[in-house]
Amino acid sequence: MNDFYLMRKNLSRKKLRAILMLVAIFIAFLIFGVLASFQHGFNAGTGLGGTDSRLITVSKINFTQSLPVAHIARIAGVDGVETVAMANWFGGYYQEPSNLLAMYAVDPEPYLKAYRDAYVIAPAERAAFLADRGSLLVPEGLANKYGWKVGDSLPLLSNIFSNKTTNSHRWDFTIAGIIHTAHPDDPQGAILFHHAYFDETVTFGRDKFNWAVERIAPGADGDRIAGAIDLLFANSPSETATQQEKAFNRAFLAQIGNIALIVTLVVSAAFCTILMIVGNTMIMAIRERTKEIAVLKTLGFSRGRILRLVLGEALLLALLGGVPGLLLAVVVDKVALAKLLPGSTMTWPISLTGIGFMLAFGLVTGLAPALNAMRINIAAGLARF
Amino acid sequence: MSLVNQIAAVTALNFKSMPQRTLGSLSTVVAVTLVVTVLLAFLAMGEGFQKTIRGSGAADVALFLRAGAQAEANSSVTRDQLRLIEEAPGIASDASGKPLVSGELYVVVDGIKKSSNTKANLPLRGISLKGTATRPGFRIVAGRMFAPGANEIVVGSAVLKEFNGMDVGSTVRFGTSTWTVVGVFDLGGSIFESELWADIDVVQNLFQRQNVFQLARVKLEDPSKLVALKAFSEGDPKLKLEVVSEADYYAKQARSMTGLIQKLGWPLAIAMALGALAGALNTMYNSVASRAHEIATLRCIGFGGLPAFVGTLLESLALAALGGLAGSLVTWLLFDGMTASTLGSNFTQVVFKFDLSPFLVLQGILIALVVGVVGGVFPAWQAARMPVLHAYNRS
Repeated sequence: MNDFYLMRKNLSRKKLRAILMLVAIFIAFLIFGVLASFQHGFNAGTGLGGTDSRLITVSKINFTQSLPVAHIARIAGVDGVETVAMANWFGGYYQEPSNLLAMYAVDPEPYLKAYRDAYVIAPAERAAFLADRGSLLVPEGLANKYGWKVGDSLPLLSNIFSNKTTNSHRWDFTIAGIIHTAHPDDPQGAILFHHAYFDETVTFGRDKFNWAVERIAPGADGDRIAGAIDLLFANSPSETATQQEKAFNRAFLAQIGNIALIVTLVVSAAFCTILMIVGNTMIMAIRERTKEIAVLKTLGFSRGRILRLVLGEALLLALLGGVPGLLLAVVVDKVALAKLLPGSTMTWPISLTGIGFMLAFGLVTGLAPALNAMRINIAAGLARF
Repeated sequence: MSLVNQIAAVTALNFKSMPQRTLGSLSTVVAVTLVVTVLLAFLAMGEGFQKTIRGSGAADVALFLRAGAQAEANSSVTRDQLRLIEEAPGIASDASGKPLVSGELYVVVDGIKKSSNTKANLPLRGISLKGTATRPGFRIVAGRMFAPGANEIVVGSAVLKEFNGMDVGSTVRFGTSTWTVVGVFDLGGSIFESELWADIDVVQNLFQRQNVFQLARVKLEDPSKLVALKAFSEGDPKLKLEVVSEADYYAKQARSMTGLIQKLGWPLAIAMALGALAGALNTMYNSVASRAHEIATLRCIGFGGLPAFVGTLLESLALAALGGLAGSLVTWLLFDGMTASTLGSNFTQVVFKFDLSPFLVLQGILIALVVGVVGGVFPAWQAARMPVLHAYNRS
């Protein structure tokens, strides 16, 4: 009869209670895992792939206001700007309006150049995309979700624009290629298609863009360049605001606002509460065994062994409940969360923090009763009840 | 002794002996309190958001949107179309006999949020005085209405609370245009209180959108006229606009938040309730164990098993109910009336208040009682079936 056997038997003496405690801990760590991954995606500000080597220019009034296409040539002339590409939000969706797509009309070549270190596209697919203005590139995630393949023709709709040639909101595209991210954990990009094609088919909104992305020369001062771009258009009817991509993305996510903060607070409170309840139950479960522990001592169990037994039981409970909880959180991230907020993944630091919490939880709930059990006077313990 | 008397006596014993189990009883109450607080906080958030959006729509107002636009930010209606709409049947008239058709332009501008000091999307609505006529409940609470043709704005009371620099008399710049805030308005806690309003002609000019509107808002003679209006829009090839009642439009927008509550609030509360259940069960098992002697004695002198069962179950229910009430109180004190804001479906900020309605409190108490029943029934069963000899042997 080894110590582990004793711990296991002790845990399962009241099956219903043990199961409930395990389920509660499981859920607490599932919540923790999902929330921490969500926060990771949120804080990293990588929602749309942020880096300091790219700048984003939008209208100074608000990023939903368009800017004239003539701005692009002038931005390209700014010292330190390596390449500049314009982009339009298309409001695209697939079949049903609820299947909204991140879909941009872009200057194909400069845009891909600006994102050359973020996206990986097979050279043949890239060439096909550049050659055919009615084609588009789709991110791997979306292609998998909807079962799209290279070469497929793909009708997409817009909730903003109308198409002159089809006299409806429908555009017909061919899939020229798939966009892979440079690192598997990177957020997925958007569907990209030719701005020229957009311009010649829309019934309104021609010669305008929503935002421009600038790739700056390595080592160049992003703040200086951003200032220089905005100065070009100061006091014109279409003033601009240029920011580093990272800062732009962070500000964008901040708009979701204190809802995110409230959810975080409430969920953290839930996590702590569950652990508190289970911890309390654990403490009481061990306290009710005072008499048995006195018997074990009578049988010659040392003080240290008693301490190890009780602590071990608490740790076993924490890990048995917590580890599967974290594992399920990984699945939830992959299946659901990553679609909601790209960049939400369970990183190693998060997993390790989770395991750290489990150990701390086991120690805290186990230590007080374990010390008590260790100190139990045999005569007094047996006299109880 | 009748069964009822027996039950009453045992229940009284249960309650009177509770102080001997303070720690356990208290932990159950606290656990249930926290479960109910978390659940109600989520539900109150959803309720508040829905109320704000739902309260924005009237059944006797129709919206003309470009087909497929979904949200007004994506829509567009030309001045020619607006003129055609004025000819449509079933539209109410103002005092001077003109049809109540309001062409509105919806542009998004940046405001600075007080809570985070960051830029956030604010809707600036270009509107005519007809626009206020289609919105009963509109009321200027400070300053005055904007003057037609002037660079003046009135701000919704929610905007004033949540954003910097929106006090009456301050000036705001959107791009190259400068505006003066001349008034603050209330509109029954609706989504419009999260907006800035200015004269339609000025907004069209300064944002270079001459002759373009985002939508037409039409006051109907009565809600049943919507059908005729739809047919009118379908029948005219120059219109072909989507006609929806304002109530339906905003009800649809409120659904996104309901999804969040259902996907987050309830699972979380159920998860926590399971945790609380573990605590409640433990407390009640301990209660039964500590009263084993007492229960056995009662059985010896002729009490049945049912009183022991009912007494234990009632103890558990009382603890849970106490937790449920405490949780409702905590939520009410901490969250009710709290202001929050988030991105709505027009890609702009919607300011709303947490709203803890009696119906929600009922749901909170209900989940507390479920924890009480499930946490009490197994220990109560044990108490009822405890063999007398066994109880004595244990001591």
